[in-house]
This record gives sequence, structure tokens and C-alpha cells, in this order.
Amino acid sequence: MPTRLVILVLAATPLAATAAIDTYPLDPLHTSVSFAIDHLGLSMIHGRFSKYAGKITIDRVAKTGGVELVVETASVDTNDNDKGSRPRSRDEHLRSADFFNSAEFPRMTYKSTQVVFSGDTPTLVNGDLTLLGITKPVAITVDRFKCNPATATAKERCGGSASAKIKRSEFGMKRGIPNIGDEVLLSFGFEGDKE
Amino acid sequence: MSEIVGHPLFQGGLAPLVVALIVGFALARTRFAWLAIMPAYATMIALDTGFSLFPPTVARKTMAIGLLAPLVGIAADFYPRASRRIAVALVIVTALVSLWIFQTVLQNRDGANAIIAGAGVILFVAAMIAFMLRLRDDGVRAGAAGLGLGFAASIAGILSASIGALVAGAAIASACVAMLIVQVALSRMLAPGFTGTLPVGLLVALIAAGTQQLALLPWYALPLFLLVPLAAAMPVSHHRSSIVRATILAGYALAASAFPIGAAWYAARTAVQ
Repeated sequence: MPTRLVILVLAATPLAATAAIDTYPLDPLHTSVSFAIDHLGLSMIHGRFSKYAGKITIDRVAKTGGVELVVETASVDTNDNDKGSRPRSRDEHLRSADFFNSAEFPRMTYKSTQVVFSGDTPTLVNGDLTLLGITKPVAITVDRFKCNPATATAKERCGGSASAKIKRSEFGMKRGIPNIGDEVLLSFGFEGDKE
Repeated sequence: MSEIVGHPLFQGGLAPLVVALIVGFALARTRFAWLAIMPAYATMIALDTGFSLFPPTVARKTMAIGLLAPLVGIAADFYPRASRRIAVALVIVTALVSLWIFQTVLQNRDGANAIIAGAGVILFVAAMIAFMLRLRDDGVRAGAAGLGLGFAASIAGILSASIGALVAGAAIASACVAMLIVQVALSRMLAPGFTGTLPVGLLVALIAAGTQQLALLPWYALPLFLLVPLAAAMPVSHHRSSIVRATILAGYALAASAFPIGAAWYAARTAVQ
């Protein structure tokens, strides 16, 4: 009886390993959270956030996964942090209650509710974005996703790029519309080592 | 047209001024002329961000309390008890309400910082309400104080990276200018009572405290705002015509408003990136 039990456990072990959920904490050195927004119908102003944390989980067998992202809104950077002769810089204004309201809402978060696969590759993430205390569903298109296998000196590493569009007015961020666009293009570049 | 309607000077300046003039003249024969502050402020909100209560942020709670304050003022004006006791009660209640308004900001701070910031907001709001309520029997003084306070909140706001404060402060200033115009045009003083002084004092206090908590107004600008109602209480002969009194008192108030504006300007000039 014990021998049969050992055989059964050993036989089941590879299956269990295959079905395991792989977790990839985001590597801050190779991850970016950026955005672009229309200005006066002329150009696109580009910005990014420098402080964030998150992770990606994938179950390749069950074709499921998840994305969690927490962004520090005070880390917004639109390459205009030097006010020069102006009273305040654009980044200072973006942190104020007119836009990201960082003192009241220091973080925005994204939590997935569904990951859609095409073959073995995730192509779409549906989830909830919480910004300024308002939660709305946001779909993120995974433009690229690739993994490099583990080697003798390195863990398995996955990465890619993704994008989404939101209307900031839906989150209560209405200041400056239409001179500063309502639609915001979000772009993500990400990498993470398998935990 | 939409460019004009979307401009902060129209939203916070011209539109509230016109609305307050219409309501002020319409109610001039009643005790409620100073209710004009409420539709003027509501017009600014409608044109600027629109009405929304959820999630209850500092700005949304300020809006709700600002619209409620004139109604509380009417009730206080009708209350049969001694006016002085009601004033003290309103100072205490509004100070406590301010703590609720800023709760969402204070809870993001660590212990000592939250206590200091909360105590500062309470003291500032209480002092502002106390100083404004002292002007409740003199419509010209209250109008001049509201003009100076709104102007200070507006300019200090834009120097502190807050267009919201610019527009809201301008709306209060415009409404108070309208009430000065109504009194001068009718050559009759319209006592604001609690109905007029409570919303003006409370809104400006919350706008200024909000600019300090949520934008970049330095803390030392807040006590300087209190100079404005003090300046509007300075002696001016009652024998002068209402236009002369209004001009002199508005001059005092605007001169005093230079102090908080100067503090905001100084902070912006010396800010380290």
C-alpha cells in the first residue's frame, strides 16, 4: 500500500508542477508606466510615473493569469519639473488637486479580472483601474509578450509591452478639457523574473 | 462660445457676478439678499467641474458644505437665542466639520504630521469664521472682506498650482462685489447676518486650507488670510456715502489680501525643485 501511494504521488508530481501558477514581480529597472495626452490638438505630451510596484501571474495550463499594479501618483514626470521663472512647474500642477490630487489619492491601482490568451500568449487583460477614488473597467491590450527560459545563471524572465486608452473625465479628472485632451493613452513596458 | 464658457475668468468671474447681481437685486427688499452668494457659487461649480458628491473628496465636501452653509445661516438668523452664542456655536461646529472635510488627506499622513495639520486647519477655520461673523451686521464690511478674501484665495491659489482655487476664490470675490454694487446702487446697507458671512468665511477658509493641503500654498499664508476680515473691520465713518465706504473698505481688504498673496508668491519664488 505505501509503495502504491508513493508511485501515485510521484506520477502526479509533474502534472502539479505544470499546473502551477507562475509569478513574475515587476522589475522596476525594466518596467515603465507612461502616458500621452493631446495638447491643444497640436502635439502629444508624454509623461511617466517613476514609482510603482506590481506583479504578473500566469497559469499556462489553465490559460489564466493576473496583473496587479500600484502606481505612486506623486511620481508623475512630464519632463517639466523645473519651473524656471514660472510660479510652478507642470509636474507640480499635475500633483495638485486639479489633476492627480496626490495628497488625497497617493496611489492609483490596476487589478485584472480576466486575462485573454491567444494560444500560449496573453493578448488582452481586462481589469479595474482605480484613480482618484473611482474604479472603472479598463482593457489593456498586450502588444507583445515573450519569455526567455531559465539558464544556469538566470531565472526565467518574461516581458513585453501593453497599452490602453482611458477617458480621464470618467475618473473625475476634468480640469483643462478640451485644451488638454480627455483621452489618455497608457503604455506599459514590463519585465519580471519568475519568483 | 464654448471657449468663453470654459475660461476660468468667465466661470469664476463674470458668470457668478451676474448671477449674484440678479439674485441680490431680486432679494434686496427681503432679509435674504445675501443668499445671492449661494447661486453665484453654484454657477461656478456648474460651469467648472459640475456637481458630483462621490467619491467624497475634499473638493466635493467643500462644495456640499458651501452650498449648505447659507441655509444654516438662515436658520441661525431666525433662531431666537442670543446671536453671540449662535456665533460661538457656529465657530465650533464649522471647525469640527473642517476636520471631517480634510479627513481623507489627514489619514494619508503619519501620526504627528496628521495631528499638526488637522489642528492647524481647525484653528484656521475657527478663526476665519469668528472674524467673518463679527461683520454680520454690516453688509459693506462683509462685502469688502469677501472681495479681499476671494481675491487672495484666487491669486494665492494660482501661485500654488491650483486652478480650482483660482476659480472658486474668484467666484466668492465676484459674488461679494455684486453685493457691494447692490448696496451702493440702492444706497442702502443690506446686513448679511449669518446667511451671508457664514458661507463667505467658510468657503474661503476651506479653499485656502485645501490649497495648502492639496497644492503648494505654504502654511504661513493661512494666518495671513485672517488679516483681510480684520482690515475690513477698521474704522470708517458711517456718515460717508455707501460708495465711499465701500471703496475705502474694499481698499483696506484688498491691501490686506496682498499678505497671503505675497506669502504664496514668496513660496513659489524660493521653492527648491
